[in-house]
Amino acid sequence: MSAIATAPARAARPVPRRWVESLAGIGFATPAFVLLVLTNIAPLIALAILSFTDYEMGAVDINSVGAANFSKALHDPVIRRSLGNTFLYVAIVVPASVLLSLLVAILVHRRTRSRGFYEVVYFLPVTTTLIAMATMWQFLLHPQLGPINAVLTSLGFNRVAFLSEPSLVLPTLAAIGVWQLVGFNMVLFLAGLSAIPRDLYEAAEVDGASHPIDRFLRVTWPLLGPTTMFVTVTTFITAFKIFDTVAVMTRGGPMGSSMTLLYAVYLEGFQYFHLSYAATLTLIFLAFTLVFSVTQTFFLDRRVHY
Amino acid sequence: MKAITPRAATVRRLLALLLSHAVLMTGAVFMLLPLVFMAVTSIKPPAEVFEATFRLWPRTFYGLENFQAALKTAPLFHFLLNGVIVCGGILIVQLIVAIPCAYALAKLEFPGKPVLFALVVLGLCIPVQAPALPLYIAFAQLGVLNTYFSMMAPFFLSVFAVFLFRQFFKSYPDEIIHAARLDGVGEFEIVWRIVVPSAWPAIAAFSVFSIVAHWNDLYWPLIVVSDAKLATPPLGMMFFADSEVGSNYGALAAGAAIITAPLVLAFLLARRRFIAGITMTGIK
Amino acid sequence: MLNRRQILKWSAATGPASLIAAPYAHAAEAVTLDVLYAFPAFAKFHEPIAAEFMKKQSDIKVQFRAPAASYDEGHQTMLRQAVTNQLPDVYYAGYHLLAELVRTLVKRNQITEVGPLLAKEDAAWRRANYSDNVLALGKVDGKTYGLAFNASLPILYFNEQLVRAAGGDPAKMPDTWDGIIALAAKIKATGPDISGIAYNIHDWPDDWLFRSMILQAGGQMLDKTETASGVGGPIGLKVMRNFRRFATEGNMPLIDWDQSRQQFIAGKIGIFADTPARLRQVTDLIGTKFTLKTCVFPVDDKTNGGLPTGGNAALITAKDPAKQKAAWEFLKFVSGPEAQQIVVETTGYMPTNLLATAPDKLGRFYEQNPNFRTVSQQSDRAKPWQGYPGGNSVRIWRAQRDIINSVMRGLETPEVGLERLVKESNVLMKA
Repeated sequence: MSAIATAPARAARPVPRRWVESLAGIGFATPAFVLLVLTNIAPLIALAILSFTDYEMGAVDINSVGAANFSKALHDPVIRRSLGNTFLYVAIVVPASVLLSLLVAILVHRRTRSRGFYEVVYFLPVTTTLIAMATMWQFLLHPQLGPINAVLTSLGFNRVAFLSEPSLVLPTLAAIGVWQLVGFNMVLFLAGLSAIPRDLYEAAEVDGASHPIDRFLRVTWPLLGPTTMFVTVTTFITAFKIFDTVAVMTRGGPMGSSMTLLYAVYLEGFQYFHLSYAATLTLIFLAFTLVFSVTQTFFLDRRVHY
Repeated sequence: MKAITPRAATVRRLLALLLSHAVLMTGAVFMLLPLVFMAVTSIKPPAEVFEATFRLWPRTFYGLENFQAALKTAPLFHFLLNGVIVCGGILIVQLIVAIPCAYALAKLEFPGKPVLFALVVLGLCIPVQAPALPLYIAFAQLGVLNTYFSMMAPFFLSVFAVFLFRQFFKSYPDEIIHAARLDGVGEFEIVWRIVVPSAWPAIAAFSVFSIVAHWNDLYWPLIVVSDAKLATPPLGMMFFADSEVGSNYGALAAGAAIITAPLVLAFLLARRRFIAGITMTGIK
Repeated sequence: MLNRRQILKWSAATGPASLIAAPYAHAAEAVTLDVLYAFPAFAKFHEPIAAEFMKKQSDIKVQFRAPAASYDEGHQTMLRQAVTNQLPDVYYAGYHLLAELVRTLVKRNQITEVGPLLAKEDAAWRRANYSDNVLALGKVDGKTYGLAFNASLPILYFNEQLVRAAGGDPAKMPDTWDGIIALAAKIKATGPDISGIAYNIHDWPDDWLFRSMILQAGGQMLDKTETASGVGGPIGLKVMRNFRRFATEGNMPLIDWDQSRQQFIAGKIGIFADTPARLRQVTDLIGTKFTLKTCVFPVDDKTNGGLPTGGNAALITAKDPAKQKAAWEFLKFVSGPEAQQIVVETTGYMPTNLLATAPDKLGRFYEQNPNFRTVSQQSDRAKPWQGYPGGNSVRIWRAQRDIINSVMRGLETPEVGLERLVKESNVLMKA
């Protein structure tokens, strides 16, 4: 054992030092590692195993069925419906909330005295408990007695049963989803906007871009790129996981028109006890969110090194 | 470029300002609609709730009765207390577990470090609903369902916290740590006495993020809790709404107000912290 | 005969605590009963009844679990908790799922038979309190497992002013469905925004309203072999056509049942088919807006037509013998005259106790609130509310409901819908 002079960038460390560091490192990391295995890795492995069996809650024996669950899921009309509905929901929520929040952020960013007020107002929905708000929305949207329909009829339109009409349920839930997300995304966009240096705008103005739309297209939009990407992916993941409003307001109805993937997983696993099938559905759910989370994580990483 | 008269420029600016505020105010109305509605309905007597003409202030102030009815029907304050217990418990363990691990990943060398980091990054991509099913089965076998422990356990490790704090710790100056080591300060103390205080903004930001996320979580409590006494605010609201919908909308609105109030008030009081929390976890 | 080694092994396995606890089990200490029921709105009688009980039996404490949203959801919860060993001590099972639940629990030895407990009581007391029909409600496979707590038959609520405006006679409401639909059509015409009738089968959490329509026409839910659906014939077709006619001729709003009830309360629906259990709630909310009346459920087949008995029976699922004893005391109380009086006065259910209708109990109440008496006038038509063979009753109803919903909206013809309903029900019955 001898003190070794290594490259100039690192100070020489005697061997005991390394041991101490390794031990400390392992000691610090072990609780997290154990929990990681217990709450993430092991369950995922269990899911994978379960999905290849026919296990039901309370069953005494468990048999392997190969990929039968997967083919059943892909042909199951309820599951195809819930996947379709989930994608439809996401297709409405993501563009709407991203674009609306971008617009609001741009408008609010320029304000000085009223900025605080608008920040509060737009962010309030994010802090509310969605279920409490959902019951209020239910009443607001009541076909006969709710104020929204009262306004519609006074303007000469027909009454609309927002939550009972199969074709309207999902867009209505999407509107509520957007309602809760706009403030959150707005704050992210505001941070992104603040990071754009003012001189860039002045430079653009010198270059002849004096019209606000020009400035937006030349300076704001490109520099907001990473933020926009991040907001979009985050919104996508959040929207894909929709559950609360369905569980509380519509329970998948009417006629399955608001059945979404995560709610289908919940029903299969915790109400009908087809645990192996629910495990299969969870893996499908995970596959989709993984694609987007991986994208997000790589962008996260890139932005840190930006 | 055409020259614009000063007056035309001012008019254009004024119009732009008006337009901005008009758009923002319309959005603001949409944002506040259910909240205002909730506040207004909670003070109305049943007869006035379904009235054709909408009034902001009721003819008869019924707020006291509504709130009393709400509190009598369900233990709303108890739900809030459960929220505090569960979120607080989760946060404390999250910090205790994540901070040392993040420090180790940022500043120490040890065998298996790259593997651990890869697992952490992988964990970031797994939504909490994915392991729910096997965890439920495991908890059922262990007989710990319907306890505070089972409500908190799946969340004890926050890979997000590990990731976030690691970023922060990485930028902490090595010299200070070396100096402390030379002074004979143990690694454990270095973490908690020296590095952590400087990471306070990140810790505060993460705490906001964690509390908001778990306060409003419905999925896991719905599966694990069968005793109303353990219900967190969203679950409690679900029980409460089921019992009141169709009869007493004033009480329902009052109940919703009680459930929603804590986070809203916390936000109004600590607005900067909240927003910093969201932003920092987003940008970093 | 346990030898020392066996005792030591047993106590080592179960822990010394159990050896110490054993002698204590017979001491008179407070027992807490964990009770589960469905429909959170019914806290309004469960809570006062429990409070009265605890006053009388100071060493038994009753606490309620978070109520299930409906019978079907409660049933799923019970099945899940049977497996995870988290059953409550007492559960109120909807009649249609009673058999399914009891059979599952009997197989796992997780339910206490009530029959022997009932037999130990004084025979005269038994006869004075419970009619044979009521006791039959709690029987499964010939043995009594449940004690009937709530019982109801479907009734029609109606808005007296709207009926008069349509030219009808509130004292002589039609007693056939064709007659009701004709009246509903006339009510619809009395004003814009007015619906003649609401029959919320498309959003009902269980199949009670479907069964009502089939049984009143003299039909059966199951065929003769009792393994397949029996509604595929002309009776089923007429029933499906009636559902569609509610929407077309009666202008029935196809919204969720709570919103629909609110609309009736607001005076916008003429006739409303519902459980009598909501009578108190609806009466209070209507206040003075209009005059609420009730009438019997029309029965087309006057000889064979029947109505399914809605409601629930209390079961004992406690593990501990002391709790089982306490649970039996609780069951006797909740099905007793005092508790039943509370139930009737706060809801509109039929009392399941014979003594409850005595003049000093409900007699006066009925005189002052004639609407509440309507349900009992149909008692002789009461039939049991059964589930389906196999373990899928909940799923079968949900599938049927979707199809009925689509027929009511005109998305399928009644013929096509009926065929699909029979097919899907049969598939699920075999699953």
